[in-house]
Parts: sequence; C-alpha cells; structure tokens
Amino acid sequence: MDAVLRGFREKGLSYLIVGPFAIVLAFPFYVMVITAFKQQRDFYDLSHSPYWFHKGATLANARFLFNQTQYTTWLRNTAIIGGVVVIITLLLAVPAGYALARLSGKLGQSVGVGIFLTYLVPPTLLFLPLFSVITQLDKQTSHLLHFHLRGSIWSLVLVYPSFTVPFATWLLMGFFKTIPRELEDAALIDGASRLGTLVRIVFPISVPGILTVVIFSFSLVVNEFVYAFTFISASAHRTLSTGVYTDLIRGDLPQWGAIMVASLIPSIPLALLYNTFLDRFIAGFTGGAFR
Amino acid sequence: MEALAAARPRGRRWTNVLERPGVLASVLISPAVVFILALVGGPLALAVYLSFTNAIGGSLHGKWIGLGNFRREWTNPAFKDAVWHTFLFTVISQAVVLVVAGLLAHALLKKFPGKWLLRFLILLPWAAPLPLSLMGWTWIFDTTYSIINWTLQHLHLASTVSPPQWLAQPRLAMGSVIAVHAWRIIPFATVIFLAGLASIPKEVDDAAAIDGATGFRKFWSVSLPLQLPIATVALLFGIVFTATDMAVVYILTNGGPPPSNATEMVTTWAYKTGIESGSLGAGAAISLFLLPVLAVVAIGMLIFARRAEVT
Amino acid sequence: MASSDDPSRREGRYDRRELIRRAGAAGISIGVAGSGFGQAFYGPLRFKGRWLKGDLTIIQWAHFVPAYDKWFTDVWSKNWGQKNDVQVHVDLILNTLLPARAAAEAASGSGHDLFFNLSPQAQFEDQVINHVEIVQEVQRKVGKIGGLAKKATYNPKTKKWFAFSDNYVPDPVVWRHDYWNGVGIAPSTWDNVRRAAPKLKAAGHPIGIGQSAELDSNMALLAFLMCFGAYVQDAKHRVTIKSKHTIEAVKFMADIFQNGETDEIFGWTPASNNNFIYSGKGSMILNAISATRTPEDLGLPFADQLYIYPIPRGPVQRLGLEHVMGCYSIWKFAQNIPAAKQFMADLEINYKDAFLASKFYNFPTFPGALPFKRIQRLAAGDTHKPRGKYQILTTIAQKYTVNPGYPGYTNAAFSEVFGKFLIPKMFAQVSQGKMSAADAVSAADHDFRDIYAKWRKLGKI
Repeated sequence: MDAVLRGFREKGLSYLIVGPFAIVLAFPFYVMVITAFKQQRDFYDLSHSPYWFHKGATLANARFLFNQTQYTTWLRNTAIIGGVVVIITLLLAVPAGYALARLSGKLGQSVGVGIFLTYLVPPTLLFLPLFSVITQLDKQTSHLLHFHLRGSIWSLVLVYPSFTVPFATWLLMGFFKTIPRELEDAALIDGASRLGTLVRIVFPISVPGILTVVIFSFSLVVNEFVYAFTFISASAHRTLSTGVYTDLIRGDLPQWGAIMVASLIPSIPLALLYNTFLDRFIAGFTGGAFR
Repeated sequence: MEALAAARPRGRRWTNVLERPGVLASVLISPAVVFILALVGGPLALAVYLSFTNAIGGSLHGKWIGLGNFRREWTNPAFKDAVWHTFLFTVISQAVVLVVAGLLAHALLKKFPGKWLLRFLILLPWAAPLPLSLMGWTWIFDTTYSIINWTLQHLHLASTVSPPQWLAQPRLAMGSVIAVHAWRIIPFATVIFLAGLASIPKEVDDAAAIDGATGFRKFWSVSLPLQLPIATVALLFGIVFTATDMAVVYILTNGGPPPSNATEMVTTWAYKTGIESGSLGAGAAISLFLLPVLAVVAIGMLIFARRAEVT
Repeated sequence: MASSDDPSRREGRYDRRELIRRAGAAGISIGVAGSGFGQAFYGPLRFKGRWLKGDLTIIQWAHFVPAYDKWFTDVWSKNWGQKNDVQVHVDLILNTLLPARAAAEAASGSGHDLFFNLSPQAQFEDQVINHVEIVQEVQRKVGKIGGLAKKATYNPKTKKWFAFSDNYVPDPVVWRHDYWNGVGIAPSTWDNVRRAAPKLKAAGHPIGIGQSAELDSNMALLAFLMCFGAYVQDAKHRVTIKSKHTIEAVKFMADIFQNGETDEIFGWTPASNNNFIYSGKGSMILNAISATRTPEDLGLPFADQLYIYPIPRGPVQRLGLEHVMGCYSIWKFAQNIPAAKQFMADLEINYKDAFLASKFYNFPTFPGALPFKRIQRLAAGDTHKPRGKYQILTTIAQKYTVNPGYPGYTNAAFSEVFGKFLIPKMFAQVSQGKMSAADAVSAADHDFRDIYAKWRKLGKI
C-alpha cells in the first residue's frame, strides 16, 4: 500500500510540474492552429472568441500559402541547407572535438576556449563583412562553378558552419572526455593505430553525442535569420525564416493566417523528430560507457 | 584482438607520422580552426577596424578616428540604458530558464503515462523556427487583438478600452520579452539537463541509495554537484545566446516602447546605429562592447565548471 | 504590335479564325498605342531601347496591394523586358528590412541594379549614381518634376540627384463617420480633434495617432508639428526644433493622448493602426488608403463609414507629409545602369497603369505623367461608398503634401533623425509625463544638433 501511494505521489508530482509548463510552452501553438484555419473576416472580429472558430474553419490560408507563395521552395531550401551544414559541422567538429579532448593537454584547453570565444561574436557584427567576403568569393569563382555563390543558398551553407562548428566542437569535446581512456588504451595496446581506434572504437560509442550535435546544429540553422536575409534576396532562394517574414507581410498587412500555417508545418515534424531522438541519446548516455 | 592487429593499415611511414599525438591532433583540429579563422576571424578583424573609423552608409572603410566611437557611445545614455537592459534581460531570463529546466528535467526522468506527449509539447518552442514563432507571439501580444487581453477582458480583469499593453508599456514590454526568450530557451536547457542527469552513473545512484540519501537530500548533495559542470555550461550557452541574439527583441518590440526604449538591447542599438542610421563605425563599436564582457564571463564560468567537475 | 515573323502572314493565307484573331490583336495594339504605352519606348536617340541587352535586377517592397506587385512583375516588367531585350528580375521584401539590405549591398559593392526604399536614402549618396539623366528624360516627356520629389531626392550642396522617386502616397486621416457623428464633431481641425477625443474615448472608441518607433508614427507626428508651425530644420538646414511652436504642439498631443487615446500607441507597428480601425475600436488614424481598401476587400460591415479627410488644420496651417514615397537608387556598381535608367523613365512616363494597379495608392511624382484632373476623374469612378471619397486625395496631394524635412531638403541628417525615431521619442516623453515639454524639446534639439554637426562635417549638408 505504501509503495502504491508513493508511486502515486511521485507520478502526481511529475504531472504537477510538467503539466502546467507543457501547457504554457505549447499555448502559442494552439493559438497558431486556430488562427491558421480561421477565416479572415472572423479573424478581425473582436466580438467572437479567439479560442475557437465562429464562422467555420477554412483551408483558404493554407491554399494561399501553397499556391501564391514559394513556401514549398523555402521548406526545401531550409532542409537542404540544414542537412549539408550538419554534415559539414560533423566533418569539422568531430575530429576537432576528439583532438581537443584527448591529445592536446594544456594547449588543447586554450584552443578549445579560443574556439568557444568565437561563438561570442554576434552575427549583427559580422554579417556585413561576411557579405563582402561572399561577394568577393563569388567574383572569383562564378566562372569556374558556372553559377553565382552570392544570392544562392550555398552562400549560407558556407557561412553557417561558422557558428555551428564552435558550438559542436565544444559539445563533442565535453562528450569525448566522458569516454574512458581505458577503452582506447586497450585497443592501442592490442595493436590498433590511433586513427583506427578513433574510427572503430570511439565513434560508435559517440553516437549519442553526434546525435546531439545533429539536433542542435540543425535547430541553429533553421532558426537563423540575419545572415539568411542579408545574403539572399530572391524569393526562390529564401529559407523558411526569411521567406515567411518578408513575403507574407505586405506593407502594413501581414497575412496572419498564412503565416501561422507556415509556422506550424515545420514545427510539428521537427518537434516529433527531436522527441524521438531524445530517447535515443539519453538511452545512449546511460546504456553506453557506464554499464 | 587479432582482427585489430591484422587490420593495421599499410603504408607505414604515413601512418607512423599520424601516430605521433601532436601531429594527429593538429591534423584533426586544423580543418575546424582554418574554417573558423577564415569565416569568423577575418570579418571580426574587419569589424574591429571599422569600429575605429567613421565609416558610414554601407562602405567598408572610413577615416580613422581612434577611440572616438567608443568614447561617444560610452557617454551616450541610450547606450548605457541598452547595456543595463541587456544585463537585466540576460540575467532574469536565464535564471528563469535554469529553475524551470532543472525542474522539468528531474520530473521527466521517471516514466509516467503521457510523458511522450508532454515532452513533445515542451519541445515545440525549440523546434519552431524562431522568426515564425515570434510572429505568433506578436499576434498574441497584439495591441488590438491580443488573445490574452480578450481573455482578461472577458474575465472582467481588464478594461475594454485600455487593456494592458504587453509590448507598449515599458515594464510589461521588458517582462514580455524576457518571458518569450525564456520560453524559447527552456526546451533547449531541459534537454541539456536531461542529458546531464542521465549521464550520472548508476553506481552513484546506488551509492546514494545505500547511504539513505533520497529526495531533496539526494538532490542537494548528489545530483546538484554532479550536474554543476553541465548546468554551468548550459547556463553559459544560454547567456551567450541571449546577449548576442537580437531576434526576439527586434521582432517583438524593436527596442521600444518610446520614449524610454525599455527593451533596447546592445544588439538592437548597434543594429539601429550601424545599419538603420548608417553610422557603420559606431555600430561596430557598440557590438564590440559585448565581446570582452562575454569573454570574461565565459572564462570565469568555464574555470568554475572545471573546478566543479567531480571525478 | 503585329509581328512581321508571323507565319500565317508569310504564307499569305488567313482562315476565318485567324482573321478574327488578327483583327482583335490589331484592335488591342491600336488601343495600347493610343494610350501612349507604346510610344514610351521610342524616346530620343540616346535612350533608344534597341541596343539594351542583358539583365535588370530590382528589389522593392511587397506592396500592400498584391495586385500591384502582380502587375509590376507579370505585366509591366515582362512587357518592358520584351520590348527592350532585357530580362527583368524583381525581388520583393518587407519594407522594414530594406535598410539592412541596402547596407549589405553597398558594403560588398555588389547588388541589385535598382534599389527601392520607402523614404529617400540620402546617406548612400556616395555609393549611387547621379540620377539627373532620368529626371531630365522624364521631364522632356511629361513636364517638370513635382516640388515634393525634387526636395526629397536632390542634394543642393553637392548638386546631385541621389535617388529617383517614381511615386508618393498622400497621407489622409481615416475616420469613422458614425462615431464622430455621435459626438457631433468632424476632424477638420486639430482643435476639433482635441475636443472630440475624450468623448470618443468615453464611448469606447479612442483616437489613434501613434507615438511608436515606426514609420506611421514618424510621419503623423512630423506632419502634426508642421500644422503648428514647428519644423526640424529650416530651408538652410539649420536645426529649428526648439521653438515655442514645438512646445505647444507637444503639449497639445499630450493632451489628446491623456484624454482620448490609450497606452497602446507606444507599441505600434505599421500594421497596428490599421488593426485599430479594422477591429471597429478606433475612431481616427492618420494613414494611407490601405486602411480603407482592406475593409472594402474584407467586406467589413463599417467599410462605408470610413471617411477620408486631409490632415486637420492646426493653429498655423494645414500641412502634411506623404505617407511613404517610392525612391529608387542605382548603385554606382550596378551591372546594367543604362537599362535601369530607361526602366525608371518608362515607368514614370506611363504612370497611369501603376496608379490604377495600386488602387490609387501610388501617385506619380511628375504631375504631368498623370494630371490631377485625370486622377480625380478616375477616383470619381470608384464605386465604394461614400461615392467619390477618394477624390479628396488629389486635393491632399496638390495642396497639403510636402517632403520630409520641409522647408529644407530631405538630407542625410534629417534621414538619421527620422531613422532613429527621435520625434516619436520626444512626443512620448511628454505624453507619458516623463519630461516637461520644454525639457523634451531641448533634449531633442541637443540630439539633432549632434547629428547635423556630424553630417555637416562630412560635407553632405
């Protein structure tokens, strides 16, 4: 009986804490859902409750978004940029994080801190010089590549790792530190090369850490605004964050319904994705090196 | 074991070089370092140069005026206000985040029915692209159509003609901006804390149980110290995110409301001065102000985190 | 325009369907040519369109009337491009983001050929060409440039046209006729507004003149100052904000705020005063006709009760500003400067189409391009009630609209005062009781003088 009561109390406590916060955190999304499917006339009418529909739900806003704007293109652009930047980040940060965690002692600390310090530079300071860099690069390479770097999504792919890599290196450095040296030493003693150890022993165990980096980097990319809107002006090359903000506000008339639809469509799948990954990498943390 | 030995790659001379720790380390680190130097270091140097000039418009050079920009901004009340606001904004929002994320992470450790769904709801603010969710918030705070005001008015807690103006009254505006920023960071911090909690080795848990430490005592003397390094790092990232990010303030209030500009932050003030008013050199100087401050804070916290590491 | 490459003509045979189609096409082309559309492309030798080749890139704001943007990209630019052998690319962007974009392009020395902004960007004077040729070309065809545009886009000190303005938008007051009838007053003078404000607020329908850091507030308050004889600068570009007129104006507005408005006016965006009207709550705002067109489009029940008046008369005069004005600049480093110049000239010369596509929002800066009498006739044909309500726009445009910075030119210093929203700040300090009127005006005077000194040192004013 005691145990059952205690069980109830613990569970109850969890609900008591998590429940209200979950409601508060998700509340804006409820508003978005209602607004997304509300008719324009209903929407501007204050005499009816904003919590539900008065004149019936409509798909007109969604239709406007998909037919009259380049929304699907923006979704695709964001996905491409996110994917490629995550890959680049992993390629750069995993080796660097490992090196800093394992092999470099005191110098490693300073380099690590140095890398982190670059993270402190705000994009509002860098976006003008970076735009210049991209333009110069574009002038040099447009003949070779047969396309213009400037104004294309690839300029963002080039620049985004500048803030994902420091962050990722840091995360991975911390993560690699938690992997006991004994594992690697054992492999080395058995005759494997350092590089081999890295690839065959360390990386498989670091899947949780790598997953974390993937999630965090992807979310950084999707949320980024300043660079995206500076480097890209053509509607067809815009990303989610800039396209919706610039194309769906016309003068003094934001298209609220369409904006809300636009916001919901990436949020829900991403949240589902993150939720799924979360279990895996927490399981990885507990089930990996410590059993 | 034999397989490993047999798997040693050929081409001895090449791999022998890589066997030396120093060389391998440099090879592994250099791509990242080169990339960062090129894409952050270079532009940063340019921005530093700009801050010492009177560059205007969009041009990337101007006349050298030494510390002129810095001196002018230092004595500018608008700048000083911006610094104070940034401090308030960062400290309060991160305090909120720390407490809430810590609570949520602990509560989410155990299994209970509906946990997956609740966790999904909690992750939403982080999953949503920021500019888009901020537009949702501008609608929630709208001066005419705010759903919060509608609710308050219908509960007879606010006047119909003059309801609270969440982004137009100075204190409310600061509160709103802090709340929205905390809202956005909480899922992120919760995840980091969850990871930290989950990485507490089972042996420690078992040892604590043997010692009879449960509930709050366990939290205070076991979980908390073990979490300190990761909490510090999470806090550090949160502080950096907050101090250098202008999206929330820009989209919600754009530094307003006038005349006190209660939500003007260093980032938005730099943007207004440098870009919207065209004084590029001054804008760069203002942005640069953040750097040494954050660096000191960062280094301090990192040292603290290292010392707090329990092995 | 019949094409000489038409195969059926070459063959010398027409079937009946083809004949009808040809007749129809001929009829249309005669009509088009008659309207002057075709003639634009055969200007003087220097601007003859034939030898223009290549691309033309344009960036401009997303017009609140989507039909205008559709017309601009799908009809106007496409046709112009075909006639001139130029591929025109138009990028649309939210107007508040234009300054940052311009800064980025100027900094990198690479960007769009034609860069649009809703107010003159005098601070980029050194990075843009002298637009005098476009002005001359258009003047040759339709007559002199309007005073408003000249004073907004010309720098008398450096004698350079730093932008070409194709349009401006008159700024009326939009008010609820039924609410004002209820208190028996009309907003024809600011004194009337002050008298009516408390009564309207008591009835639940406050006034809304923004005091926020945004465009609408800037324009409304600057115009308000002028009605009281207060100016930021004089004709010689000296700072004249500190005067008893300014103090009186600031106190007057504080009075209106305390008795007839609510706190929300300090947190407005350009869309907020529109929402204020759309919800049925507001009784008066100062805004372009987007505030009346949207209720018409949405079928809001009180659309017919939205009346349009010129800015109320103040103790000194009745004078207002444009709400926004379209200013295109061509960067010195633009890729296709000749095409850009030609495009602008042609757009302005044929402004009737733009005017109609924008639902009377855009007025041409060269009055000759679409004379006011013609505009009035077109406005009289608008069927929304009360009938002919848009005709007052011509009166407003002709008599009560001057450039920001009047009586001086819109120079870089003024633009900075404007861009930093220092005028709404000054008003808000007094309205919220944070500073006395005299102190607030003195503080503003101090800030403005700093800014003006800086630009004077740079030799721009």
